[in-house]
Amino acid sequence: MKDSFVHRVARGPIIPLITVICVLLAGAGPARAGKSAQVEVGFVGVPPKSESGTPLYQDVLLNVRSVRINPNVDAAPGNAKWQSIPVPPAIGGKGQNADLQIDLNTSQNIPQLFNTAGVQPGTYRIAELVLDSANPGSIVPNCPLAPPLGANNDGCINYPIQLSANTNVISVTNSGPGGLIQPGKGKTTPLILQVSMAINSAPTTPGGAYTVTITLATLPTNPLGTVTGSVKVNAGSGTASSTSGKFLKLAVTAEAIGTNTPIASALVKNGVYTLELPAAGGPAAPGFGTLYDLAVAGGADTYAADRLVPLYPGQQISKEDFTITGSQKLGNITGTITDNCVATQAIAGATLQLLIPPNSIASPSSTFCLDSPEQCVAVATANTDNAGNFPLPGTLSIPPAFANVPPAPKSNLNSAYAMEITAPGYDPLIVQAKPGSGSSKKGGGTCAPKDSPAGTTFTACNLALNTGYISGSIPIIPPNPGQTTLVEVFAEDAGTNNIVSALPSPVSVTNSNKGSVSFTLNVPTALLPPASVRKFDLFATTVDNYQGVSDPYPGHTIAVLSDVTGPAEPSAPGACSIVTTAFSADQTITCVGHGSVAGLVGNADLGTSVVLSKEDALGNFVQITNTQVLNQSPNTGPNNLYSFCAPADTYWLQTVQMPTPESSVTPLVAPTPEPMATPTISVVIPTPPSAGGPSPTPTPAIKCPTTCSTNANGTCPGICNSVIQGL
Amino acid sequence: MSALGAAIAFSVAACNNQTGFSGSVGNTPNGPPLASYEILGTAGTPFTATASDSQSSWTFQGNVPLSIVICNNVMPASIVVTKTTSNSNLLSLEIISGNTITGLQSTSAPFGTVSLQVGGTLGSISPHASPDLRIFVAGPAQERYSALVEDSTAGWIIGTRAPTLILFDLFDNPSAKVDGTFYGNQDYGSFNLNMTLGGVVVATVVAGPNATIREP
Repeated sequence: MKDSFVHRVARGPIIPLITVICVLLAGAGPARAGKSAQVEVGFVGVPPKSESGTPLYQDVLLNVRSVRINPNVDAAPGNAKWQSIPVPPAIGGKGQNADLQIDLNTSQNIPQLFNTAGVQPGTYRIAELVLDSANPGSIVPNCPLAPPLGANNDGCINYPIQLSANTNVISVTNSGPGGLIQPGKGKTTPLILQVSMAINSAPTTPGGAYTVTITLATLPTNPLGTVTGSVKVNAGSGTASSTSGKFLKLAVTAEAIGTNTPIASALVKNGVYTLELPAAGGPAAPGFGTLYDLAVAGGADTYAADRLVPLYPGQQISKEDFTITGSQKLGNITGTITDNCVATQAIAGATLQLLIPPNSIASPSSTFCLDSPEQCVAVATANTDNAGNFPLPGTLSIPPAFANVPPAPKSNLNSAYAMEITAPGYDPLIVQAKPGSGSSKKGGGTCAPKDSPAGTTFTACNLALNTGYISGSIPIIPPNPGQTTLVEVFAEDAGTNNIVSALPSPVSVTNSNKGSVSFTLNVPTALLPPASVRKFDLFATTVDNYQGVSDPYPGHTIAVLSDVTGPAEPSAPGACSIVTTAFSADQTITCVGHGSVAGLVGNADLGTSVVLSKEDALGNFVQITNTQVLNQSPNTGPNNLYSFCAPADTYWLQTVQMPTPESSVTPLVAPTPEPMATPTISVVIPTPPSAGGPSPTPTPAIKCPTTCSTNANGTCPGICNSVIQGL
Repeated sequence: MSALGAAIAFSVAACNNQTGFSGSVGNTPNGPPLASYEILGTAGTPFTATASDSQSSWTFQGNVPLSIVICNNVMPASIVVTKTTSNSNLLSLEIISGNTITGLQSTSAPFGTVSLQVGGTLGSISPHASPDLRIFVAGPAQERYSALVEDSTAGWIIGTRAPTLILFDLFDNPSAKVDGTFYGNQDYGSFNLNMTLGGVVVATVVAGPNATIREP
């Protein structure tokens, strides 16, 4: 969800199943001696199935520690020939124990990439999936239909899993001459593993474990698509140099279209590159298709980029060639991002991107990316630290991208890049930026406003973002004495699922908060043409515990409020606006317990998703969360499932559709989903009965052992209800 | 200081902290081992978070990855993290005690939220830390370092990787002064440390492979 609905997948149905790990770092990291081949590991999930085909599980999670491969199917655990593909650097790293959590539900149709790592070339006949031995995974079941899961087991909460084989290592073998994979020197070889889970027994007590059997297999067909091409480096007239003294390796990175999110990266070797990328298939060839941008960066070379036609499983986009210029004097872009409303207040976690036009745009103007950033590709990204300074340091061997910036093309206005700065709750800012030669944390590079004419004097990149405030109150039934309810408030552009802001910290509500909870939320102020005012939909959810441990889904109702007119743009630094609003009484946040709704979706493809909305007092729908349609053809036994865990209440369901990418057509911008012609359907998730629920305990102990207490006498929601609703 | 030297100093400090690490503060007894809260996932993913122990709470923003350590952490404790971007990037919250992952939740949802507790059930979020003293440790990504940080009552040994946000619960000793010494290995490069008090930077140190920062 956007709020406490953890594990919910993203809105964009083309890429969303690909949990994106920064394989860029993995691909560019140092390999041990002899590890001249690369293996790219990914997973396709097969979650437990019900005989009736109804969805039983909201989340099916495995905590993966590593994948290892060996040429010998009988290799002992201590065999020296094991080659390990660990969790990615941004998860683990040197000496760091860490797990990457994969969801078998959301990876049923499109592989979830795990990591890419160097291995010795050879033929590998066994692959082993190594799970966290202490905590191999968990399952979040939907609320039970009849009969219930167990005597007292609720749905929409975490249950640990216990492996029936009593080992955290699951293997797949192929003893044939070709083995499982044959990674070659200088090449990247995909290893996509199908991970299946079957339930042996369900827990009989709350917090008990599912006993499961996990199996591993390879896939009969390649679920990835391939992008290949060349990178020609023309000799430059200068001398290669870098302010950091280090150079990034020249690489081609595939990004989800219109974003700076890296999906996979390939080093350029001998002037060529090959990328293996997840691609959306379907019942008929070639499939739905997945859209990517390519960014070329590294060495002492200029940048290049392109936007691709759709990529299909098992197919190849070839001759994706680039020409760049070498021997550049690399500079850096550094500075500080602050709040334009509160003097000197740093913005931590802001994102900065350098944008360039893709090759697919013929003869872009000198201001193309300043005017149309959505049509451009991010070739370098940086973030701010807690003092608002950027960029963050790189690794020992890999400098941050903003410390290795080649001069911008002279054809650009002022020979400068378009640099976009974004932060939640703030207006995006686009400026002209030039790399500098200084090494000071705050002194590298210069910037000028977006509309600065030719010849403008550039200054230090100390930039401020505009914002405004929405202040309001939400009616709430407070928790019992000694307890706290955490309320998080989100703002999204009115009528959309585009969340633009969240409270920096949930509001803590205690028994003394009689009647309502107050909040103040940063929101952007810039207009969205052609609208003359900017409006927001707000919704508020809670962060709850279940029996004292973190609850993945809330047990309180979700409050919604539509069409709140946003604050005006600041007239001057510090002159920022605030608007006030109030949620209506019918949106009172109160404890109702869990609930779920699930069903099948007709005529779905990999661009189809389902949106869960709630109606406010004005009769408008506020979108709360969405989910993809899972387990589609050509999977074995496809059933086009969707499911939500949501507190008991009345909701509306609507299918939305991402337009099918046209083969051989390069889109100008990332497509956005539109509501389908199907009607919006109302669904009521009944409130769990208080009777039959766990008994409350007296304060100061936990007043109610389940997700929340229903009222002052501390009765607790019982086992939650599930509703089946086809779409 | 060489890596060996750092290791020796570190090991001695781990025994009784009698090495005069603090300089301005003096010898302090060892505090208990600290759990670290790791916010991991797709590098660069922005988030906002609130951490709380039974006495104090802290709100902070950042980008994946970030390690958080609370010195003088009075259990139970909890942390709530919300992604602040509308994409499908992974955000994973892990609690690591010693060498064991004791808690793990992750989300790929737009503006998804994850939360974990450690050391029992925290009935309510504690009041905002006062004083709110933090050390932000920037250094080469993915490289582990060790550190001894202390207030006037105890010293804590930290072994983690940058970037790290070190929070101090000074509820019981609000006038205490804080300092820290950080050790990278020989090839570590530089630490970039800043200490904030109430959101205002009060000390900044750029040094390596070892660095010491003291509250003025």
